Amino acid sequence: MNLFQTIFTGSNQAVSAAEGLLKQAIEQKGRDHKVAFPDTAYALPVIYAATGIKITTLGELEGAIGIVKSLIVEELQLTQALNAGLATAVAAEIIEAIKYAMNETPYEAPCAGHITDPIIRSLGVPLVTGDIPGVAVVLGECPDSATAAKVIKDYQSKGLLTFLVGKVIDQAIEGNVKMGLELRVIPLGYDVTSVIHVVSVAIRASLIFGAVEPGKLDKHMEYTKNRVPAFVNAFGPLSELVVSAGAGAIALGFPVITDQVVPEVPTLLLTQKDYDKVVATSLEARGIKIKITELPIPVAFAAAFEGERIRKDD
Amino acid sequence: MSDQFISIYQSGEEQLLEKAVKDGAETMWDRKAAQKTPCGFGEKGVCCRICAMGPCRVSPVAGKGAQKGICGATADVIVARNYARMVAAGTAAHSDHARDIAHILHMASRDGNYKVRDEKKLMSLAKEWGVNTENRDIYEIAHEVAEIALNEFGKPFGTLKFLERAPELRQKVWEDLQIKPRAIDREIATILHSTHVGCTGDAESLVHMSMRTSLADGWGGSMIGTEFSDIIFGTPVPRETEANLGVLDEKQVNIILHGHEPSLSEMIVMASLDPEMQKLAKEVGAEGINLAGMCCTGNEVTMRHGVKIAGNFYQQEMAILTGAVEAIIVDVQCIFPALAKLSDCYHTKFITTSPKAKITGATHIEFHEDNAMESAKNIVKEAIENFKNRKNEKVFIPEIKSNAVVGYSVEAVIKQLDKVVNPHIDPMGTVKPLADVIKAGVLRGAVGIVGCNNPKSKHDYSHIEIMKKLIANDVIVVTTGCAAQAAAKAGLLTKDARKLAGQGLATVCELVDIPPVLHMGSCVDISRILTIVGEVAKHLGIDNSDLPVAGIAPEWMSEKAVAIATYVISSGIDTFLGITPPVTGSDEVVDILTNRVENMTGAKFFIEEDPHALADKVLGRIEEKRQKLGI
Ligand code: SF4
Ligand code: SF4
Repeated sequence: MNLFQTIFTGSNQAVSAAEGLLKQAIEQKGRDHKVAFPDTAYALPVIYAATGIKITTLGELEGAIGIVKSLIVEELQLTQALNAGLATAVAAEIIEAIKYAMNETPYEAPCAGHITDPIIRSLGVPLVTGDIPGVAVVLGECPDSATAAKVIKDYQSKGLLTFLVGKVIDQAIEGNVKMGLELRVIPLGYDVTSVIHVVSVAIRASLIFGAVEPGKLDKHMEYTKNRVPAFVNAFGPLSELVVSAGAGAIALGFPVITDQVVPEVPTLLLTQKDYDKVVATSLEARGIKIKITELPIPVAFAAAFEGERIRKDD
Repeated sequence: MSDQFISIYQSGEEQLLEKAVKDGAETMWDRKAAQKTPCGFGEKGVCCRICAMGPCRVSPVAGKGAQKGICGATADVIVARNYARMVAAGTAAHSDHARDIAHILHMASRDGNYKVRDEKKLMSLAKEWGVNTENRDIYEIAHEVAEIALNEFGKPFGTLKFLERAPELRQKVWEDLQIKPRAIDREIATILHSTHVGCTGDAESLVHMSMRTSLADGWGGSMIGTEFSDIIFGTPVPRETEANLGVLDEKQVNIILHGHEPSLSEMIVMASLDPEMQKLAKEVGAEGINLAGMCCTGNEVTMRHGVKIAGNFYQQEMAILTGAVEAIIVDVQCIFPALAKLSDCYHTKFITTSPKAKITGATHIEFHEDNAMESAKNIVKEAIENFKNRKNEKVFIPEIKSNAVVGYSVEAVIKQLDKVVNPHIDPMGTVKPLADVIKAGVLRGAVGIVGCNNPKSKHDYSHIEIMKKLIANDVIVVTTGCAAQAAAKAGLLTKDARKLAGQGLATVCELVDIPPVLHMGSCVDISRILTIVGEVAKHLGIDNSDLPVAGIAPEWMSEKAVAIATYVISSGIDTFLGITPPVTGSDEVVDILTNRVENMTGAKFFIEEDPHALADKVLGRIEEKRQKLGI
C-alpha cells in the first residue's frame, strides 16, 4: 500500500474506534456527562487549539467526531495526508478524553497519562533557555530492553525530555532507566493513543507561551514546528494507526525516525536501523545541537545518571 | 502572482505591436495573416515533394480522393516520411551544435581563449570513456576526450557511448528494439536515405528509424553539447537574474544575444566585460554595455553568468521594436530571417556570425573560433558604435521584468538535495532525496516542460497555465528552452513561487531551498533531464518508463522539438504535445505514435491543444504510473 493510503487507513481506524467508544460511553453515562482532563484550563487542548471550542460533555464530543471525519479526505496529496494525521491526533484525544470521563484514574504509575498545566508551565523556562534542548517521543517496542535503555539514557544524558509510549515503557524499566519529571523521562501510557498527551503538551506550549489564538490551527502548527523541538522515535512493527499518528507528528513539524523500512521523506520520515545512530540521526533531523560544555546540569539531576558519560568538569 | 504577471507582460507586448504598426514594421503576425488559412494537406502531413514526379498530395481521408502518390506511397508512408525528416533535421541541428563544441574543446589550451573550466567534469568523463589520466596534462586529456566525442559523429562500428549512462533496463529496451544509434551523422543520413523516393514504404519502420535517430540526438549530440559546454564554460550553479524586455536599459548599449552556441555567446560576454569595450561605450555616451539573451543562447549565458533574459522565441521581433537595441548578434537556429528587414526600420544592427546561418540583408561578421576573443570584440565594437545612431523618439521599453533563479544543472540539483540528507543515514551526492519524495508521494511526480513559442497558441499562455497547474498538484517542474524563459518572465523561477505550489512541493522547495520550477538550461540541456530521470530510475532499480514523469512541449514549433519529443518517448517518458504535429493525415501513424509505441518503449505521445486538459491528462497519467508501481 502506498504511504498516503496507509495513513488514511490508520486515520479511518482511529475515527471509527473513537466513534465506537463514544457511543458506548454515551449509552452508559448519557450525553451530559462531563468530559475533562485534570488541571488544565484548555479543555481538550488539541481540539481547543484547532477549533477554539471547549468541549465539556460527551455530547459535545459527537461534534468533534464530525471534525475528525472532515479532516479525512482521501486524496493522494501531502495536504490531505497531513490532515488525516491531524485527524488521528484529534481522534486520539477523543479516546483519551473518554478514558478520563469513564474513569477517575485511568492512568496509574508508572504511566502519567495527561500532563497538567502546572507541569507544562514549569517546563516552559528550561525549554526556552535551551536547558531542555529537545523533546523525544519514544514509541513502540525496541528489539530488547538494553537497546531501549541505551537510547533513552542517551537522551537523558543530553538533557532531553523523553516521553515513552507503549511496550518501551516496560523495556525502560527493565533496563533500569530512572524515570520521573525531574529526571526528564515520562512514561505516558501503553496505548498508542496516549501519545496525544505529549501532543497536548506541544499544543499548550503554543497556547500558553506562544499566545497563539485558539482556532488558528495553522498558527499553532507553525509555532510547534518552529518552537517545540520535538521528534518521534517509532520502534518495532508499525500499524497503520501508528503511521497515521506519525503523519500527525509531521504535520506539527516533528520528524519521525523509525527502525522499520518505510517510504522515507527527507528530514521528516526516516529509517535508521542502526540503534547506535538513532540518537544522532534524530537530533540532526530536528536540528538539535547539544553543546555539552554549556549544559548546566543541576546536581540532583546529574546524580540520576549513574554510569552515564558525563564529564566531571561539566 | 503569475496571472497578473502574464497579463502585464501581454499588455507590454500589445503596446509593442501597436508601435510596430505605427513604425511601419512588419511582424510575424502580419506574415501569419498573409498566409491565410494554412494548407490542410501540409497541416496533416499528406503532402510529398520528395521527387520531381510530385509534388503529390493525397487525401487524408481513407477511401476518398487520391489515396496514393504517383510512386504509390500511401498517406501512412508520406506522413511517416515527413515526420522522420523532421526528426532528422532536429537531430542534425543539435548535433552540428555539439560538433562545434567538441571542436572547441579540441582546440582548448591553457593560454587560449577556450579553456577547461570544469576539470572535475572532464576527468570523470575521461574515466567514463577509458581515457588515461595519470600523469597527463589536463589539455592532453581534454583533446583526447574531444577526439573520442568527434568520432561519435561518424564512427564506423559500435553504438553511442552515452547510451551506457541510461538505466540498464532502458538499454535492454533499446537493444531489443534495435534502436541503439550507431553514429550520429550516420543515423541522420540513413533517414534521408530511407525517405528518398522508392525506399522505405512502411510507416512503422520509419517511426522506428526516427526513434533511433532521435536517440542519437538526446543521448548523442545534445548530451555531448551539454557535457562539453560545462567542461569548457563551467557547470552551472544557482544564480539570480531578471527576465523580459524590461531588462533592456535606455542608458546603456543594449546587445541581444540570440541563437544557440555558447562558443560565441561566452566570448561576447567576456568581450563586453573588457575594459577597452567598456571605455568605448562611455565614449559614445552610454553608461555601459547591457547584454541580454534570447532563446537558447540566452539560456546558456544566463545559466553560467546570470546574463539577463530579454525574452523567448516569440519576442525576437519585439526586442527590435523597442528601438533600444544596438545589435542583435546571432549564430544559428531559431533566428527569424525577418529580423534583417525589421532591423532596417530601426537603428538596430542585425549581425550574423556563423557561416552555417547567413541571412540576406544582415551584417555578416564571421566569428572565428581560433581567434575568438578578437573576433568577439570586433562584433561588440560594431554594436557599441551603433549607439550613436539610436533614435530616442523611437525608443519604447515596456516596463516588464521579473526576478528568476537559474542555473540548476544536475550537479547543482544534487548539491541542493544534499541539504536534506541526514548524514547518519545516507551519503551525500545522490538523487536519493528526490527518489524518496517521489516514492513517498510528497511529490506526485516530475515533469519536464520544454519547447518553443508558436503563434498558434497565445504567447506563453500554455507554458504558464500548465506549469501552474502541475506545481499546484505537487508535481515538480523542470524546464529548458523557451519554456524556461516563459517561466522566468512569469515569476515561476523564484523561490517565492512556492506559494503557488501544493503543500508537498512547497515543503520540498522550502527544505531544499529551490523554486518549484527549475531552469535546467537550453534545448541541448534536455540531456540534463534525461540524466536526472535516469539516475532516479537507477536508484530505484526500475526503468524510466516506470517513473511518474512526463515531458511536455506546450507551444513547440521546431524540428528540433520533434527530435526531442521522439527521443523522450524512446527514453521511456510520455510526451505531451500542445500543438498538433503534421501527422493527422494518417490514422496508422497517429496510432503508432499515440498508442502502439507504448508497447515498444513504455511511453507514448499525447496530443492536446487545451493547456488545462493537457495538464489534467498529465496528472492522470502520473497517478496511473504510480499505481502500477505501487507507490
Ligand atoms: S516520392 Fe512519391 S509521393 Fe512523393 S512526390 Fe515523388 S511520387 Fe509523389
Ligand atoms: S525552445 Fe524552440 S524556439 Fe526556443 S530556442 Fe529551442 S528550438 Fe528554438
